[in-house]
Amino acid sequence: MKELGRIHQLIIPFFGHNLTFNLEVIIMTWIVMSILLVFGFLAAGKKRIIPGPIQVMGELFISQLFALTEDALDKELGKKYAPLICALFMFLLLSNWIGIIPYMHEPTKDLNTPLSLGLLGFFISHYVGIKTKGFKAYIKTYFDPFFFMMPLNVIGELAKVVSISFRLFGNIMGGSIIILVVSYLVYSVLIPPFLNVFFGIFVGAIQAFVFTMLTLVYISVQVK
Amino acid sequence: MEIMGADIVRAFALLGAGIAMGLGAIGPGIGEGFAAGKACEAIGRSPQEAGLLTRTMLVGQAVSESTGIYSLVVALLLLFVV
Repeated sequence: MKELGRIHQLIIPFFGHNLTFNLEVIIMTWIVMSILLVFGFLAAGKKRIIPGPIQVMGELFISQLFALTEDALDKELGKKYAPLICALFMFLLLSNWIGIIPYMHEPTKDLNTPLSLGLLGFFISHYVGIKTKGFKAYIKTYFDPFFFMMPLNVIGELAKVVSISFRLFGNIMGGSIIILVVSYLVYSVLIPPFLNVFFGIFVGAIQAFVFTMLTLVYISVQVK
Repeated sequence: MEIMGADIVRAFALLGAGIAMGLGAIGPGIGEGFAAGKACEAIGRSPQEAGLLTRTMLVGQAVSESTGIYSLVVALLLLFVV
């Protein structure tokens, strides 16, 4: 049970301030990224007419996500932003699934990872909104029904970041805490594998999908 | 042993965590039940769209779950930070 509140931190003094690095999260993120890179090279390194198994998997994945993106945005923008959506989904899926391996921790268990991804989606959606609609029309959406609704609209936009990142963080963190507590209670007999399947694979996949879909929806709301 | 002020703060933090989680779980439970019920009705009406309906239902449920997740985060903060 001591594992619950434990965070590996590297604290470096820097001109009177302390720079804090969460080492575990950084290492796990690098592991996830390297696995994704290896998968990408295996899937697209040697493109063949008759595809190998990994290439088939990659093609299925990419075509599904491209179709989703082109449904939400229009054809041209969809082609432009589908790689972002694919990368986000694959990264989140692998990050959520890596926790089922013993001694590995999900990078999304730390609030920093979901919050930075949420901020990424926030800035990208507003950039796309300004670029497609023009600055004037973009500003005009904030004063939408009446002039004095502006603060509410701004807060609503900022709350999107909080809600999207806390949703992912809370799900993954809560799942891992439940797994830890129940494993401790039953002395790791019989029950933890099922919990791992539910909270690791099922909830992880759904939350990764929800995160990507919501980012996509935020972009499409800004475009229209 | 004397009860100090810090003990009382800790006790109320634990109590607050329990209340937050218990009350916060009501809303998502009702909402997810509604979503599942409506999805069942829709699948009964048009069984050929079952895949799309199930996917939409799961995404909607995961979104409506978020208030419960907020209360979970608040409960965790009360448990481990206060």
